[in-house]
Amino acid sequence: MNNRTTTAASERVAPIGAMGGPSLRLPLTLIAAAIVFVAGAVAPSHFAGDFVLRVANEGLLLGMLALSVAFLMNQAGLVALGAASIYGGAGLLFAIAMSEWNLTPLAALCAAFLIIVVYATVLGALIVRTNPLAFMMLTLAAGEMISHAVMLEALRDYTGGADGLAVSFKGSIFGMEAADFANPARFWLVMWVAASLAGLALWSVGRSRLGAILRAVRENEERMRFSGFDTYLPRLIAYVLVNIVAAVAGLLHVLNAGFVSPESLGISVSTNALVAALMGGIAGSVGPILGGLIFSFAQDEFGARGLTQLLTGIAIVVFIVVFPRGVVGGLSGMAWLRTLSGRRERS
Amino acid sequence: MIALLIANSLALASLLIMLASGLALIYGLRDVINFGHGAIYMLGAYLGYTVSLVGGFWLALVVVPILLALLGIAFEYLALRPLQGRSHIEVALVTLGLGIIVGQIIIFFYGGVARSVDAPQILSGSVTVLNLSYPVYRIFLIVMGLGSCVLLALWLRFTSSGLYVRAVSQDPSVARMMGINADRLSLLVTSLSTAFAGVAGVLAGPYMSIDPGMDVTMIVNCLIIVVIGGTGSIGGAIVAALLFGMMQVAGSVFLPNIAALVPYILLMVVLLIAPRGIGRGRVLN
Repeated sequence: MNNRTTTAASERVAPIGAMGGPSLRLPLTLIAAAIVFVAGAVAPSHFAGDFVLRVANEGLLLGMLALSVAFLMNQAGLVALGAASIYGGAGLLFAIAMSEWNLTPLAALCAAFLIIVVYATVLGALIVRTNPLAFMMLTLAAGEMISHAVMLEALRDYTGGADGLAVSFKGSIFGMEAADFANPARFWLVMWVAASLAGLALWSVGRSRLGAILRAVRENEERMRFSGFDTYLPRLIAYVLVNIVAAVAGLLHVLNAGFVSPESLGISVSTNALVAALMGGIAGSVGPILGGLIFSFAQDEFGARGLTQLLTGIAIVVFIVVFPRGVVGGLSGMAWLRTLSGRRERS
Repeated sequence: MIALLIANSLALASLLIMLASGLALIYGLRDVINFGHGAIYMLGAYLGYTVSLVGGFWLALVVVPILLALLGIAFEYLALRPLQGRSHIEVALVTLGLGIIVGQIIIFFYGGVARSVDAPQILSGSVTVLNLSYPVYRIFLIVMGLGSCVLLALWLRFTSSGLYVRAVSQDPSVARMMGINADRLSLLVTSLSTAFAGVAGVLAGPYMSIDPGMDVTMIVNCLIIVVIGGTGSIGGAIVAALLFGMMQVAGSVFLPNIAALVPYILLMVVLLIAPRGIGRGRVLN
């Protein structure tokens, strides 16, 4: 009896020791993150060949897109199927701004970015009011609208129709010239920094007050409204935020490829991003980016046999039904699945 | 001119009605938006193409819906029932994934080129009514579309299973409390819905060309119709499909440059004015 009490007491002591942990663990985590960041920025360009780097760059681009999809899914419970229209649209606008409006590269970049943000805000203002299922349908419809609009005969002179547009800029953007963006090793550095910053930004938003409100609205919107919270604005801000990440990814993609094709606005880009997010796990920022890399290398492996889309479909089903928390999801205690199924029980 | 316009929009609406009402039926019973419905329609079209080559159009019109009804039964047992406890969004995503798989299998077997199906002898050619010449096949399409629509309405209105379907669609929990077996009903409705998609696919063959992108186009159009019609409301879906067909056809005549965008504009307008749609369907959740 006495013996047991001491065990219980010592067990009770353990959490106190653990509570002292974060003060020690946090610097360790930061150091580890810094090491990973520096190693990731430097190592691949030294050890990997151009081809692997190219695939990895595409992986990070998709990872950023997946990050935007995952953040909205995880924090707001909303699934967006229109990420491609932002991603491809930003690139297309950049190309148009340079070739048609004769802007300098930097001005074109800013113009494309601003137009996309305005578009995302207007669209978001219309559709974040709805519930998750309608939101999913509406983002799909809006995405298809943009990809149809690009192919319109009347806009062909602007958008290049099915041929797409070549992007060749003279001068430099942020001290980098066109050739630098096309160089896989240099672009890897750009992508690595961009993806890390995007991941960090969304991660900190998720931990902020805004993130807490978003999750509470996801759980029960009525209760939040009843408690005096504005449930509309936080979701709109989140929607615009993730589209900013998607637009940055789209602009980087065009800078790297030097070309924008109508396929980059197609539904398959959106579903690829969704799959990457589901594969990596939607909770947190590491999962989606990792998912993008996994997807990109898998696509490289199987794409030649024309199996990419088939595997995309299979991956959606398998990861939702069997591994709903993705590859990284096991590390995080926050299961999106549990919260969503919790919602179903209540409804 | 106006008469032709109306006839053409009716022909398009006939196809849309068959698909959108199938979507609305499953949604009403299971609360699931079947994002794979477009792929099932495409499967119907390609199977119709093959069966037509072997045994003719009429055989296809009978065999394909039966095959797809069997597929619907498999879909119910293998996907909808095991996932009953999952959230609606997850099930919707699974149907999206299944739709992609079906679409890719079709492309694997048939390749990426567009195909066309000839209308049977008796339906080819055109008739002249009031000095207007009109293709017989489109008239057949309208008759089939409106006919199935009437049959559906009669079934829902006058049979006991139809009554149960309406009851579950209106209030699932109360209906279950009253002893309605929603699972058995759902089996019926899912297979009916996929069979309808099969009929629509076979009928689409001679009307428009069959191509690998038809699934996405059709599912997006149907989602727009279901939203405009008020989700879960079958009557609303029918009205919305007619309206949609009219807008699409009129758009391609009067505004050929932006005809492709008309449905989306319509969607946005309806969402702004009446977010619950024409049929005031159950609020989506």
